[in-house]
Amino acid sequence: MEKVLRKIAEVTSDPYGYVADVRAKKEKKVVGCFPMHVPEELVHAAGLMPVVIWRGNELVTWGHSHVPPYDCGITRTFVDDAVRGKLSFMDGMVFHVRQCLQVGEFPLIMERNVKPAYQKILYLPPIFEGDFLKGYLIEDLESFKASLEAFSGNKISDDKLSSSIEVYNKNRVLLERVYQIRRERPEILRAREVMQIVWSSMLMPKEDHNELLEELIKEMEGATVEPQGDKIKVILVGCLCQTLQFDILDLIEDLGMIVPDDDLYVGSRYFANRVNLNGNPMEALADRYLAKSPLCPTKGVWDVDWGEEVIQKMERCGAKGIISIVVKFCPPHTCYYPDFKSKMDEKGVHEVMIQMEHEIISLEGIKTRLQSFVEIIGGV
Amino acid sequence: MADTNYKINRLQTTNDIRPLVDNHWAELRTAKERGEKVAWASGPTFIIPYAMGLKCHFMAGYAAYCGGIGAADEILKVAEMTGDLPETCSYHRLHMGMAEAVRKGIPVNEQAILPIPDVMISGRFCTEMAHYAEGLYRRMKVPVVAVELPIAYEREDIPRLKKIVLAQYKDVLIPRLEKLTGNKFSYDKLSEIIKNLKEAALIRNQCWEFFKTKPSHWTLWDYGVSIAPVFYLMGKPGSTEYYRKLLKELQDREKNGIPAMAPDGEKYRIYWDGWVPWAFLGKFMRKLTPRGALAICGRYPWEFFPHPERLDPENPLESFVGAFYDEVNPEVFSNKAPKGSLEYIGKLVEDYSIDGMIMFSSKTCRMWNLSYLDIIDGLEKRHGIPGVVIEADMIDSAMISDSQIDTRLEALLETIDGRRR
Repeated sequence: MEKVLRKIAEVTSDPYGYVADVRAKKEKKVVGCFPMHVPEELVHAAGLMPVVIWRGNELVTWGHSHVPPYDCGITRTFVDDAVRGKLSFMDGMVFHVRQCLQVGEFPLIMERNVKPAYQKILYLPPIFEGDFLKGYLIEDLESFKASLEAFSGNKISDDKLSSSIEVYNKNRVLLERVYQIRRERPEILRAREVMQIVWSSMLMPKEDHNELLEELIKEMEGATVEPQGDKIKVILVGCLCQTLQFDILDLIEDLGMIVPDDDLYVGSRYFANRVNLNGNPMEALADRYLAKSPLCPTKGVWDVDWGEEVIQKMERCGAKGIISIVVKFCPPHTCYYPDFKSKMDEKGVHEVMIQMEHEIISLEGIKTRLQSFVEIIGGV
Repeated sequence: MADTNYKINRLQTTNDIRPLVDNHWAELRTAKERGEKVAWASGPTFIIPYAMGLKCHFMAGYAAYCGGIGAADEILKVAEMTGDLPETCSYHRLHMGMAEAVRKGIPVNEQAILPIPDVMISGRFCTEMAHYAEGLYRRMKVPVVAVELPIAYEREDIPRLKKIVLAQYKDVLIPRLEKLTGNKFSYDKLSEIIKNLKEAALIRNQCWEFFKTKPSHWTLWDYGVSIAPVFYLMGKPGSTEYYRKLLKELQDREKNGIPAMAPDGEKYRIYWDGWVPWAFLGKFMRKLTPRGALAICGRYPWEFFPHPERLDPENPLESFVGAFYDEVNPEVFSNKAPKGSLEYIGKLVEDYSIDGMIMFSSKTCRMWNLSYLDIIDGLEKRHGIPGVVIEADMIDSAMISDSQIDTRLEALLETIDGRRR
């Protein structure tokens, strides 16, 4: 396991170097897909290398000349990385501008300052009433497909797209298997390792990642781990679009908690729902996007209760509490959070919220909140 | 501070607006007592319930009203008490706070109270504006009818966006509202509303000409408080009369040589981007006026049917939706996307002889302030005028810093002076 995990840690510790290196070795153009809903399969089927854009690893500097401090971490760091030239290996960029307002920052800033060879705007609709919205969604995906074909010079046939979907579905199945083992034996991986595993899937060619996962799963299945029954099981929820600081994950574990499952974007949300390949592959991609569960507060769904979904997840793995990770200046999440919190109160579920900023002002403050939380759960 | 003692010559007509809007909100407040159904709406969707004889609120209009009557802060406190986070959109918080105040009997300014709606219309042009409808469904099980109203980022996207919006108005919004409320939609009523709106907006456009004169004969704030008749008061008695009276007063001013700013007119003609700061109009006026700076025009106040000649009472629904998705004049919905705004602001800067730009950036709302710094840079290069960002909020006083406003304003005016020398 160690060897695979080391490889994964290498990828995520320097995503810039890693992606640039793969681009050079495989001679493939890289297309950055802003999280969370761009269907990477289409990019893959065009013979390009999709990567999910990530929150940067440095303090924002030049980016302050382009975006306000009250944008979320990934918005600010992505712009900062881009205008500083750190993303010069990214030949193309795709932005779904109907996800949240902040995504709307990018098209003009990139066009003026970065000038990627390819830039595409998607208008994926929310999941509202009206069958024609699916048609509109497919139309948007068709426009995406046509633009990729023009950029890559490769035709995306249904067969090619289906093959790409199969590669991605395989990755989803393998990641789900990792999570299944983790639910059964949460001691087997640290929370930061799990996040690294999912994050590396967003960065690596999926075929390579699938190979790594197969090796990892084989070793996980054969591994023996010491059960740590005294640890308090909690699940992590939220942190839309971006990675959580590993320091916070470590802190959670250092305080006597253990994470058997999560509802994070760089976590179980990324690989939830396979693409059902029974017919037209474009329609199948649309159907996956239109799934209401796991609930995503950017998709305009009001009749599925996120709190209920998470409580079920918590009960399935025998967890005793929930840690909500709300990214500072993430409007879809902050608008939803009061109702999520109310649901937890109504159902008597222990829950604590941590607001996450790109620049951690005080880890001590977070520690105090988590300490109190673990004492409350531990005392029950 | 300037040597000249600048003062605003107040318009008389704008005194007539308060009774009009007070009456609108009072009618809504008391609708249920009369057995009427009530809707709340975001985005330009309220015209449909109006054409069904339903009483309907409008999200941004209500927030502006609360800000204007000084009720926002206390309602925002209720929202905070009931769990909302301070960085959440202040319009969202205001609505959640008001609904919670009604639900839990928490006393707030009575004029700000609205009845809990029978139906929520979620017009999702701002993705964040949809969340309050979702929230009210979760908390109070108020049924939601939702319509996606995408902002066009590229001009060539407008036709397909218009198509999907029109389909939603026809096939979702109208039939669902009819089913939920029992009220019937009337094309004749819609046609009458569009006719009245067109008439009022055509006169309003004549009033805009008095911003182009040097000196200007009225202020952006005068127009800001006059927006309701060409928006959520559309089709109501008094709208056209209001603009007729306003036009007459402006014509008299021109004839008699009365500028908006005494003694001899403005020293600096300012473009104001973003929301009108509804709760802080007086504060900003007190900061701009002594310096001889006059806010003249802005994207937001100009989005209310700038081409009324294209509204067609014979084809009311298509022309209403077309006003927002107009390939010929794409400024209304595409002006919110940064690229479109670069073109549109540039046009306003030229048409209204602007000296400098204030980009009013709301810390809790990014609707208007996407890519502000790049927009300033782009416009400065094209038009040679400076701009600053002022960080604040439309209605939340906790987000306002006097010293920041003063510093940025001084910097802007000094830069304009420097370039004039």
